[in-house]
Amino acid sequence: MTVAGRWLGRLGLGVLYAAVALFFVVPLWWALVGSMTPLNAVFAHLSPFDLHALWPGQPTLRAYGQLFRQHDFARVLLNTAFVALATVAAGLVVNGMAGFAFAVMRFRGKRVLFVIALVSAMVPAEALAIPLFELVGQLGLLDSYAALIAPAVSNGMAIFLFRQFFAEIPVDLAEAARLDGAGWGTIFLRLYLPLSLPATIAAGLLLFVFQWESFLWPLIAVHSQRYTVIQIALANLQQQHGTEWTQIFAASTLAAMVPLLLLLPLQRFYVQGLVRSGVKG
Amino acid sequence: MAAPGSTSPGGGSHRTKRRRLFQGDERAAYLFLLPAALGLALFRVYPMLEAVGGSLYGQVFSASGPHTLFVGLGNITALLGNAVFWHSLWVTLELNLVLNPMQVVLALALALMVQGRSRAMAAYRVLLLVPIGVSLPVATILWRLMLDPNSGFVNALLAFVGLPPQPFYTSASQALWSIMLIANWKGVSYWMVFVLAGLQGVPGQLLEAAAIDGATAVQRFWHVTLPLLRRPLAFVLVADTVINFVMFVPMYLLTRGGPSGATNVLMYQAYKVGFAFGDMGGALAIVSVLLAVILVVVALQLRLLEPGRESW
Repeated sequence: MTVAGRWLGRLGLGVLYAAVALFFVVPLWWALVGSMTPLNAVFAHLSPFDLHALWPGQPTLRAYGQLFRQHDFARVLLNTAFVALATVAAGLVVNGMAGFAFAVMRFRGKRVLFVIALVSAMVPAEALAIPLFELVGQLGLLDSYAALIAPAVSNGMAIFLFRQFFAEIPVDLAEAARLDGAGWGTIFLRLYLPLSLPATIAAGLLLFVFQWESFLWPLIAVHSQRYTVIQIALANLQQQHGTEWTQIFAASTLAAMVPLLLLLPLQRFYVQGLVRSGVKG
Repeated sequence: MAAPGSTSPGGGSHRTKRRRLFQGDERAAYLFLLPAALGLALFRVYPMLEAVGGSLYGQVFSASGPHTLFVGLGNITALLGNAVFWHSLWVTLELNLVLNPMQVVLALALALMVQGRSRAMAAYRVLLLVPIGVSLPVATILWRLMLDPNSGFVNALLAFVGLPPQPFYTSASQALWSIMLIANWKGVSYWMVFVLAGLQGVPGQLLEAAAIDGATAVQRFWHVTLPLLRRPLAFVLVADTVINFVMFVPMYLLTRGGPSGATNVLMYQAYKVGFAFGDMGGALAIVSVLLAVILVVVALQLRLLEPGRESW
């Protein structure tokens, strides 16, 4: 290949990498910039298009102020954070214990129970939302925090993730502790959990992101304003007639910011957790 | 890991000793499992039964108000005779037949692009992970504004390079493609993660040996890399199918199943029947159909993940 040809190839590759990166980053970046731009300026830079559409001229937080004053977004964010954190707290205990039993302990019916947990991990929550609505209605729990939290606590994928991690810890450790007369609770809490920080972080992120991004279930399970979570608030905002684009940008930015701020620094654990619970059977 | 002497010498005695040691621990095991098992039974397994059971009932309106009535397979036979259901099933299949292979190929391409070990590449990979932290509702709403036919970003770009504006999700012919674009933006880098993990399992010596034997980069990919990626790629295809089969959010937030039914997938139809028309039995009949398909796909996946089937 000629030198010119090689340079042309490199250039083409560079353009490809840049285009892919822009494709993934521009929508959120545009929203971030748009959320801090005066409304008329959002459109001014699109027709005709100039790069000021992607860089704020005179940044303003007006749209965010409107969200908090007119649309009660403080409440919305607190609701979502509460639901997500409660699910994480309960879910880590419940799924961690189950993962421990599957990895370390012996009991009859282990295979069958494990397959049930696996299947439940693979059936998407959306598919079960409508029958779940019937059940939660019969339990009299509709339109409450419990309706939002309880169904998400037991999570087959989190169980699987913990099991995979615990299974790699040599069982001799548990045996030795057993010989010394330690109870299973002690072994779980003192021995296994401290060795499993990566799994705990990964499972915690999994549960948090699941709840923060949940849409269909809160859409049907809850209708009072006092229980509104972020994705629903965003959808409501979008469906109200005459909502300003800057407000939709601001709400989208808020909704995306929280999981991103958690995921980006902890992405190593999240990715490893995904892979562990996914391909490496 | 264990210090010498902490395990008993001789495999056989170790076995029996272990059995004795763990005896009577079954109760403890069940206690550890109980909370999760209760949750899964109540909120995961029971709803599957409820979907089938509930589809056997229907609402009847009389002078004294609505009544719930046992209708047996009435809801299912009504579905089979309903043109809207068949059209909705077709849209669902259309979406999945195009989107799922597309996502597998794009995830693979992306993984090949970013598999390098340099620091710059690691930073680039993090950039691609951004959509994982963006929920599907947020992604849909952002792309709704991006693709807005009148004042959206994409049409502004098209105008900038001299192309005519497109109707995107407002036209029956482009709506499903617009939704696929959103699904790809949101999903491809997530699926890439699994392919990337698979790529890391491809032994470097194998590729070097092939290169020494004179195999070109393309040959190395087809004959060494790709066969070793079968398992992660199959996993991605199956897991992706299960999720895309019940896609709901873009149809709800962007197209409302339209224009003229072009994006009216089964999950959206089920929601409409249950919550807009108030026919819960009819909605559960559709959900039962969806669950049947999903369970078949999941059974396939379980076989795939079964240990000892590495060479699948």
